[in-house]
Amino acid sequence: MRIRLDPWPVDTQSGQLSLHAFNGEAIDIETPRWAAIAPRDIPQRLKRVYVVDGKPRMEARLLIEDDQGQSSFAGYGAFVAGAVDLCPHGSRPAELKDVRVQRVLAHGANMQLSPVQLSPRNPHTGQLEYRPSGFPADRDEATAPAAHIQALMLEAEQQLSHGLASSVPFDEDDDREVLSALTIQDGTLRGRNLGGAVVGCVKTLHTMYIDPGRMELLARLKPGERTPILHLRYGHNQFTRFSWYVRLCEAPFHLHPLAGVMRLEMYAPEEPDFLPPIVRAVANVSGTLLCRLAGQAHKDPRAPQNLIPTAALETAMGRSMGDLNLVTRRIRAHIAAELGAAVLGGVA
Amino acid sequence: MLGRVLGTEDATPTSFWFLVASGQSVQLDDLVVARTRRPDGLEVAFYGLVESVRKRHEGVSFESDVEDVMAGVLPASVSYAARVLVTRVDPENFVPPQPGDPVLHARGADLHMALSADKMKDAAFPGGLLADGQVMPLNYRFVNGESGGHINISGISGVATKTSYALFLLHSIFRSGVLGKGASDTRAVIFNVKGEDLMFLDRPNRSASEIEAGVQRGKGLAANRYQLLGLPQEPFRDVQFLAPPRPGGTGSSIVPHVEQRTSGVTPFVFTLREFCRRRMLPYSFADRDSSLNLGFVIGSIEEKLFRLSRDGEQPYLTVADWKPDTDVMLDEELQFSELGEVRVDTFPKLVSYLEYKLLDENDGNGDPRWVGKQAPATLQAFIRRLRGVQKHLAPLIRGDLSAAQAAQYRPDLTRPDRQLSVVDIHKLSGHGQMFVVGVLLRDLFEYKERTGRSNTIFVVLDELNKYAPREGDSPIKDVLLDIAERGRSLGIILIGAQQTASEVERRIVSNAAIRVVGRLDMAEAERPEYRFLPQSFRARAGILQPGSMLVSQPDVPNPVLVNYPFPAWATRPDEVEQVTEAAEVEGSMRDLFGL
Repeated sequence: MRIRLDPWPVDTQSGQLSLHAFNGEAIDIETPRWAAIAPRDIPQRLKRVYVVDGKPRMEARLLIEDDQGQSSFAGYGAFVAGAVDLCPHGSRPAELKDVRVQRVLAHGANMQLSPVQLSPRNPHTGQLEYRPSGFPADRDEATAPAAHIQALMLEAEQQLSHGLASSVPFDEDDDREVLSALTIQDGTLRGRNLGGAVVGCVKTLHTMYIDPGRMELLARLKPGERTPILHLRYGHNQFTRFSWYVRLCEAPFHLHPLAGVMRLEMYAPEEPDFLPPIVRAVANVSGTLLCRLAGQAHKDPRAPQNLIPTAALETAMGRSMGDLNLVTRRIRAHIAAELGAAVLGGVA
Repeated sequence: MLGRVLGTEDATPTSFWFLVASGQSVQLDDLVVARTRRPDGLEVAFYGLVESVRKRHEGVSFESDVEDVMAGVLPASVSYAARVLVTRVDPENFVPPQPGDPVLHARGADLHMALSADKMKDAAFPGGLLADGQVMPLNYRFVNGESGGHINISGISGVATKTSYALFLLHSIFRSGVLGKGASDTRAVIFNVKGEDLMFLDRPNRSASEIEAGVQRGKGLAANRYQLLGLPQEPFRDVQFLAPPRPGGTGSSIVPHVEQRTSGVTPFVFTLREFCRRRMLPYSFADRDSSLNLGFVIGSIEEKLFRLSRDGEQPYLTVADWKPDTDVMLDEELQFSELGEVRVDTFPKLVSYLEYKLLDENDGNGDPRWVGKQAPATLQAFIRRLRGVQKHLAPLIRGDLSAAQAAQYRPDLTRPDRQLSVVDIHKLSGHGQMFVVGVLLRDLFEYKERTGRSNTIFVVLDELNKYAPREGDSPIKDVLLDIAERGRSLGIILIGAQQTASEVERRIVSNAAIRVVGRLDMAEAERPEYRFLPQSFRARAGILQPGSMLVSQPDVPNPVLVNYPFPAWATRPDEVEQVTEAAEVEGSMRDLFGL
């Protein structure tokens, strides 16, 4: 018998490894030769790397009625998307960028609501303002507000990612674009491509995009090495991605052999006939860059996949949203005061 | 604005932390003020000094994260925070400051409040400069005995520059104008115990201007430190230098026992008659407590000698009841007067006379009236000790002088034309130093008991632990205790210094209103004598540089670190600025005429 650990703690949603079968299409776009590719040095012209992440938070579940008698599930929520701006050559300190919280009152469609300001208890706690944001009419179940907040966060995250990165030409004739700013986004890429050099870092290996015969290479990768780039198409041709695997660190003997492996992806055009040079450039530096950013096991239970800047960003984002206990207390006090006023007004 | 009060550490009315704003720099001992407003509108100001400063990476949790931060991978900010010890709350409304309240440098009126200068008013005199070049006032009422008195300075020799600070304080007291009308009556006495360091206080120091200009540049001060303090950069004025006579001299050849200073030093001697009449015998014994009986013998002999000296005014004594055996005569110059009396005119003769009276007379039984009922062993111990100090005291106690000489060389520390007297005792042995210090201080004390506290006399004495050790007893300790405990009401103020306050009689140190600490040994700094220093200051006392002192005064609850200017006066012969010939001549003329 041979027992190996999945590296991730049991209180995360699932293990690092689950490996479901992939029901899309994967094509060798870089090379048909399935072998490890050594990392390259980071070119001097790549001046900025942005690590982007987002975080949603439901702060109170609500049931609301507007003056027209419409009612819906709703929620007070907050989300934040932010970036760490760092130099891949280590020539300047890493800085937090655009870590700003937004608060929404997520509500059902067709409701007329005005922004809610929660009155501060004392001058030091500032304003809490929830901007109304309706979710689509077809979703009126209890989980809709939370899903809406999540969607808003993802949208903000994507806007931020692409706004910061160099643009990627998906045109064979355009070779002027060089990779000067790269965004590393936490997790898979979502939605439509907005044209930026954004690479998604998928921490878990949940779907097996390559056949089992090829999986063996992943276990043999040395730190920094990568697999060739694949072109993926899945979800009934809805999504197309470039993807490759990188090893960030040696897997310790007690963990399964894929423990230090991470899958990266970039947006791809639908037709698998062209690999933009910038995508290859990103893939070439990804091993060096991610090894540098990789977390360490004693500092982060999801190391090395959870990158150092990502972990710092998560902390900063959590802090920017404020203490949840204080916020819910404010909400409770606010609603109690409003209702109290209405009741007292009715009596008078 | 310097920063804001932290909300992540407790803010209390006595201490708080603040975050230093970016672009600002705060160091230990900076004086700051924070203001808070109560809900009713009352504004409360907290004045204090920075007791601790620290920087750390904020937002990271592992020590090794510093590598990632410096590699540009991990975003972190440096938090720069300072802890303030509150020295004053005004009005006295002890609410805590509010997190977020702005903290400012205490300047101008705020500085006055922080250092309680508003309570001192015209009694303030400069006690040094703060790190940023502002003047730290000391309250003269706590120096001259009005509200408190005495100054005590502790610190390691050579590093702490205790004497330098004591001199700076004297200079400041004399020349800052704090004395007002009393300036002409105020005197100071310094005992020079090491080298001839203090024998050039009346001469300008040739390095002073250069060094001060360098410090001004280095610290970016607006003016020379003397100008900032409002003090003249000048040596001491109206100084008299007293030194014991060179040993071996007889008759009229009394020259001061100094090497480096060639003119302007007055030798001092005591006559044998004064020795007896003014009861100086006990000061010849440093350890009279070694046996109870010895103290008793000293007391009874002191009384006998006093009686002997009552008649006559000559510097020597005459005794009729001594028939020195010429064979065992110690001294071939023994003189017999016309009436068969023996003239006792040197200290050795006095000792021989006492030996005769106590041990030899009456076939070795001594004169019963002198012996009392003391055991011969005690009497022998008494004579043995006296013989031991005889060599040291013989040059100081003379009977072979003319009355005019005796008057000329009598030390007078209260001369109206001399503000400062330097008494050089460094050439004397330990016994000789004890004797001189004891006798002169006792004289000063008795003088002040007669004249009252109309004027103030400062006594600067280094190595207090030698004169007033915590263990044991001595006549010098008694007179120092008298000065410490009663002196302030009589206007005699002790500026005492020692390496280790823990070895000095507790009552002397505890009577000092103003306490100053220079560099201390770390172990010494933890002793109870330094409890007036907060813990962080005790740790810091181990790293103080020369020229920096921690000063504690009753008005300000926490000690304040000050620096003071380089002496404008010379402390070594090679520091003496070449004076003009005319001044030199004038100096030697004065000397010649004993002016």
